[in-house]
Order: sequence, then structure tokens, then C-alpha cells
Amino acid sequence: MNPISAIRQFVMPEARPAAVVKAMSDSTVAGAVPFNELQKLGPGALQQPFSSQPAGGSFGDLLGQMVNEVGAKQTAAGDAIGGVLSGQGVPLHQAMIAMQEASVSFQLMVEVRNKLLESYQELMRMQI
Amino acid sequence: MITLLTGISSSAAALTAERIRMEVISQNIANANTTRGLDGKPYQRQHVVFETALRQQQGGAGSFGSPQAVQVSRIESDNRPPRLIPDPSNPGAMQAVPDVNIHEEMADYITASRSFEANLAVVKNARAMAMQTLTIGK
Amino acid sequence: MINALFNQPNYLATKKMLDATVLRQEAITSNIANLETPNYKRLDVAPSFSSDLRQAIASKNPTQIENLRPHLIVDSAAFSPKRDGNTVQLEDEMLHLNQNFVEHSLETQLVSASLSRLRMAITGRSG
Repeated sequence: MNPISAIRQFVMPEARPAAVVKAMSDSTVAGAVPFNELQKLGPGALQQPFSSQPAGGSFGDLLGQMVNEVGAKQTAAGDAIGGVLSGQGVPLHQAMIAMQEASVSFQLMVEVRNKLLESYQELMRMQI
Repeated sequence: MITLLTGISSSAAALTAERIRMEVISQNIANANTTRGLDGKPYQRQHVVFETALRQQQGGAGSFGSPQAVQVSRIESDNRPPRLIPDPSNPGAMQAVPDVNIHEEMADYITASRSFEANLAVVKNARAMAMQTLTIGK
Repeated sequence: MINALFNQPNYLATKKMLDATVLRQEAITSNIANLETPNYKRLDVAPSFSSDLRQAIASKNPTQIENLRPHLIVDSAAFSPKRDGNTVQLEDEMLHLNQNFVEHSLETQLVSASLSRLRMAITGRSG
């Protein structure tokens, strides 16, 4: 799984109804869902909200899990650096890689937070 | 102490050992013609004996498969007897001179020098690798 | 899910190879330091490591790759032309030294490239 699909899978949990996905893949124009195809699906198919609960738990749980994992990465990096500096024989490359992985994880979390904030603010701006 | 250059202590030990060996060889060459030393006898050629001291390696496998450091265990005198050559000042009599073969000493010197250079190259290499490691992620 | 980011077989395999390269550097250092030591047998990374790694990469199993541990053994294939039982040949060791340096360079650059690809995917900016 390449990094982009990993991030996409995380940010948008599998909530698209399977029928809509199939309809989209069947259409001759890439990305467009023909109106007659939608009619074939029937009125009930699109009623499912996109924020349906994925099998793993709520989005809040996912976020909490992510924060914990980022914290674990930071601790691991700190331990590795400590091992190098105190002469405990931790190889330098492992400490460098741990540091970079912790930094990348943290960046991911920050970007997710930014996007969430952005979408919240956009929601609040919407005229009812 | 931080050890960022792994194995640097082995190289340092080898450099010291080879340097000591070169000093002993220089001493042998310098005294190649000393027929009467402090004790009244001709100079006795000396050589060094190397031995390995097991280096502690974290998670090492034991005595086999662990990096080892070399050290000079002792500098000892040869037990080669002095050579006898005709005495220039006393025709008919023999004179005892040290059994130091210049060619042999020079060959040893070149070997020691080559080993010294090789260990220096290892240290340089270790430093370059560590600098490369520090660029990970940049 | 953070761990999923870093659990890709190629990335894990590159990290393992880097571990092996650093370990080989230690072995070469020890070999050259003991060039003149009587009865010293040269060390190297166990050859089983590279075949195990190749197998693990082919199986695409991250845990299998992660569980590999390179280790040093006495090189039984080295023969000794010297009388004192020392099996280190200086020319070979210098070759290995240079080769190892280039491998180390390659592997650090591969790891750095993976990490900067991740960063670009996350932030949309390079650097």
C-alpha cells in the first residue's frame, strides 16, 4: 500500500455505498455518474450518509489512536537519541531514522488537524 | 562517552600497535652495529608480540564473531645468538655483532607501515559514513 | 495507522540492509585492525542474512522482514596463505571497505527518499 492510499484510507474511511462505487466505475465518462444509472439504483441507495460508522469505531477513536501512535513514535525517537548520547551503543542510523519517522508522523497529525479546522470553519461560514 | 564511529577503538589500538612495532624496528636498525652495549654484550634484536583483547560488543555472540582489538602484549628480546664476523682490529679473532638483518627489518617496517595506512583509511571511511548517516531525512 | 505508513516492505528491507551494512563496517574494521594478529580469522555478516532478506521481501510480509537480525560470524570460506593462521587479506578488505561505503551511501539515500516522499504526500510541499 503506497503512502498516499494509506493516508486516504485513514482520512476517508470506507463509507461509500458499494452500489455507487460500481456505478461510477461503470460509467463511460471518467468520474461522472450518469443520471440514468443513479435512477436504476433506486431512491434508497443514496440515503446512506457518507459519515456512516466504519467497522473500526468512530472517527474520534481513530483520532485518539493516531495521537497515541504519534506519541509512541516520539518516545521511541527520544529513547534512541538518549541511547546514542549516553554511549549505550544504539547505532546512529537507527536514532536518525527514528527521529525522522517521529517528525513525519507529527507532521501528518498537524496536517490532519489543520484540515479538520479548515472544514469546521468552512461549515460555520455556510449560510443556512 | 558517545561512540558515533563504531569500531574506532579497534582501529586506534591497531594504530598504536603498529607504531610501537615501527619504533622497535627503528631501534633494531639503529643498533645494528652495536658490538658493546650497556651490559658489555652485543645488542640483542627485539621484536613485538601482538595479541587480541576481546572487545565488548553489545549483543555480541561470544568469543567467535565479535570484533577484536589488537594490542602489543610485550616487547621481547630475540633469542638469536650474535653473529660472528672476523675482527678487523685483531686479525684471526672473531667479533660478535648483533644478528640484525637490515633487509628483514625493512620488510617488517614496510608491512607495519602498510597496516598503519590501512587502519588510517578505515578511520577516514568511518567518519565519512557517519557524516552520511547524519544526512538521513535532510 | 501511523505504523501503517512505515510498514512497507521496501522501506523496512532498506532499513534492515542499512543495519547489515553498519555491522559489516564493524567487521571490516576489526579485520583490518587485526591484519597482523596470529591466528585471527576474518569476520563478516552471516551469508544467510541476504538469502533470508530476499525471501522475506518476496513474501511481502512486514513482520518477517522486521524480525530479521543480521549478525557477524567467522568467515569459514576464507583461507589463509599466511603461516601464522591469519585469514585477512588486505586487498580484499580494502575492496570490501569501499564497496560497503557505497552501499551505505545508497541505503541512506533510499531511506531519505522514502521519508521525503512521505513528507511530500502529507504536506504537499517538498523539503
